[in-house]
Amino acid sequence: MILLGKIVLGTASSLVVCAGILCSEGFVCVDVRETQPEVHHIFVVAPAMLVPICLHFVPADKLQNASEQVRPWMPAIRAAAQSLREQADMTLVEVAQSDQHVAVKKEGGSIVVDVKDSQDTVHVSVPLRAISSSLEEISSSQTAGKS
Amino acid sequence: MKMNIRSLAAALAVFATISLSAHAAPADRYLHVKVEDGTDGGSVNVNIPLAMAEKILPAIHNGKLNEGRVVISQADTNGVDLKAILDAIHAAPDNEFVSIRQKDQDVRIFKSNGNILIKIRDSEDKEPQKVDVTIPLSVADALFSTFHQNELNVSAALQALDQAGQTLAVTVEEATQHVRIWVDEKNSQ
Repeated sequence: MILLGKIVLGTASSLVVCAGILCSEGFVCVDVRETQPEVHHIFVVAPAMLVPICLHFVPADKLQNASEQVRPWMPAIRAAAQSLREQADMTLVEVAQSDQHVAVKKEGGSIVVDVKDSQDTVHVSVPLRAISSSLEEISSSQTAGKS
Repeated sequence: MKMNIRSLAAALAVFATISLSAHAAPADRYLHVKVEDGTDGGSVNVNIPLAMAEKILPAIHNGKLNEGRVVISQADTNGVDLKAILDAIHAAPDNEFVSIRQKDQDVRIFKSNGNILIKIRDSEDKEPQKVDVTIPLSVADALFSTFHQNELNVSAALQALDQAGQTLAVTVEEATQHVRIWVDEKNSQ
């Protein structure tokens, strides 16, 4: 009975630790609401750490093109991400038209993109750390035979 | 003994003041761009922390931009020695240097309070245009602070802009469109 208790406690502790690690980089949140032609609501919240982990398992040849394009910009992306983390919350870009509004903001440790028009509303929030680590993963992706 | 304690206290107070002022973080500055279109009521607002731009620029190595420096060709400047002109403006007192008045166009370039001011009024087209540019001389100096004549040190100019007051301003006004670029300590517009 004591042994069973120890196993349950160990498993529960491991699960809590794994969940803690998985959630340590925050959450990616995607909220899409369409009103026309049909009403759709897509709401996804996932641990941000899953993104670079998933990217790690994407075949390298599928990421080759993206990798080549992003690699030269990595020093600038690293500098931008580091600097943005140090900044207070702010709106970076805001575009407004009569029936459309787009905003890119820095909120907490995340980059938030809000798009609203007469028919759809899109809200995407991605932690900066997840953006950095995902882009690092993409840039380091190399097909076999290429160095 | 009493005198010694007073001296020590005074020295400590001075040291504390110097330490505090040395460690007080300078206020962040932000480059703002605002574009307003009168025809459809649209607007674009961009806010960029100067500190971020200062860190990003040296990390870009692409085309003519390397380590925060832009290579300009002689064709871009029409063979004009911009650095020599800047040196001449520096040495000159506050004054109007260029004044071109035509039927539909009025261009004025002058120096005032450590700034270069450019004012253009154009009524040639159907839509009259008004352009006002104010550039701190320190920023212009930093822009040309490279050893090579065909380079602009954008990175140094940004640093100078960060240290300059709230003077940089570009405004372009047309009948339907207004563009404004400025620097201040607010992170929103």
